Amino acid sequence: MGKIIESFREAFGRALVEIGKENENVVVLDADVKGSTKTIYFEKAFPNRFFQIGISEQDLISTAAGFAIAGKIPVASAFAAFMMRAWEQIRNTVARDNLNVKIVTTHSGFSDFMDGSSHQCLEDIALMRVLPNMKVLVPADAYATKVLLKQIVESEGPFYMRLGRDYTIKVYDEEELKIGKAEILREGEDVFLIACGFMVPVALEVAEKLNDLSVGVADFHTIKPLDGDILLKIAKKANLIVTLEEHSIFGGLGGAVAEVLSEKMPRMIIRIGTREFGKSSRDYLALLDFYGLSAEKVAKRIVEAVKGL
Amino acid sequence: MSESLVHSALSDKLKEMLSEVNNFHLNSSITCLEILKAVIAKKRENDVVILSKGHSAPAFYVILSEIGLLSEDELKSFANLDGLPSHVIRGLPFIEISSGSLGQGLSVANGIALASKLEGEEKNIYVILGDGELDEGQIWEAAMTSSHYKLDNVIAIVDRNFNQLTGKTEEIMSKEPLGEKWKSFGWEVFEVENKAEKILELLFELDKVKGKPKVIIAKWE
Repeated sequence: MGKIIESFREAFGRALVEIGKENENVVVLDADVKGSTKTIYFEKAFPNRFFQIGISEQDLISTAAGFAIAGKIPVASAFAAFMMRAWEQIRNTVARDNLNVKIVTTHSGFSDFMDGSSHQCLEDIALMRVLPNMKVLVPADAYATKVLLKQIVESEGPFYMRLGRDYTIKVYDEEELKIGKAEILREGEDVFLIACGFMVPVALEVAEKLNDLSVGVADFHTIKPLDGDILLKIAKKANLIVTLEEHSIFGGLGGAVAEVLSEKMPRMIIRIGTREFGKSSRDYLALLDFYGLSAEKVAKRIVEAVKGL
Repeated sequence: MSESLVHSALSDKLKEMLSEVNNFHLNSSITCLEILKAVIAKKRENDVVILSKGHSAPAFYVILSEIGLLSEDELKSFANLDGLPSHVIRGLPFIEISSGSLGQGLSVANGIALASKLEGEEKNIYVILGDGELDEGQIWEAAMTSSHYKLDNVIAIVDRNFNQLTGKTEEIMSKEPLGEKWKSFGWEVFEVENKAEKILELLFELDKVKGKPKVIIAKWE
């Protein structure tokens, strides 16, 4: 396992303050989870530009839409699972009118391990990806969170950024990351792991474990628009493609990759993710392992798959 | 329904427009005509109007045609593929936000109102709500937000026609005591007969009421 660094939410909270200093148009809206999402830092720095909407995600999203109409750049933040109750508001108001609203959620995937299935959001990528105009990002570490957050605020139109809760494992130093451009972190020919979010460092660990094979790893931090060029380059050289995400295998990163490759360059793909709801656990990594998302379990599945090729 | 209003020139125009489309939302459009007429008459250049009950788009188009912003031909194009959309969408005159899905307009109004206060602008945001629409929980989330932030630049007008899609409002989901509900949410409440001149007069009065969001319950007697 790589080096543990700042958490996703810490990175988000601190980056938001930096962005707020540079851009006076940025306002932040919260659904009474500012201490957990760390938007509280923005509130302390810019109390006039922080708006508490209460535990009402639907009102939160539509109010953010109003700010966007008035020319502000609203960042609407809450837990991923509960932001999804505003899906219809996101569809009919934010996405349909292509409004400049930035939706940033924390506690996604299994990262809210203690709270169990109600809080563990494993469907949001699919729900957001299906919406016209909406762009979807899942940063891999604290650095990627900061860099990509700044970019989505500076880009016009609606964005959904999905973050975890606790520590991140260092993936990047000072690399230049860009919305819509996947990062190849390691080259390989037998197997290529395509991952997003916290599963990126997990994929790197898997590649280390499988030292008998040539294993590549790519970070697809932007799930929509998906980087088709890099994906086709990967598909050309790899015998087996494995997608890895802390999300349902239906409609998420694996779904997006399969959609593109099935039309343009059919390849054997194994989608690794979830098929069911989560459960509570005292430990995040133990929970990932339970659902087959630890480096050990992923490596084992790949070894078995390669035998069968 | 009041005979004088049902048979007004405006409602005749509306009926003609909707006669070819199976009277699409005719009744909820008829009761919205006088409200829209008053609001558009009151609206200053930078004020915002949100038709949260988006299915009253036909009434909105009739009012736009009255003030020369839509032609008779455009009215006839209602719901054609290349014509006026059946529910209002962003980009039409005065329309800042697409509607059609109920319950969202008041929240959007709050966002515009908060941004406007942040900029120190003088801007009223008028939101037209259906009485059936008040079943949506989001309306009451937003009603709390408006009063929490003392948004006296938000003016909601409820088209109190006592009807919703499948029956009388008080049979489907009772709304009364409606004024009391809004009052308990921290709003200044006004009740008025659904007639343009009465609503318009009240809208001017409301500019003097500060420190609270305001709601007009426009009753279709």
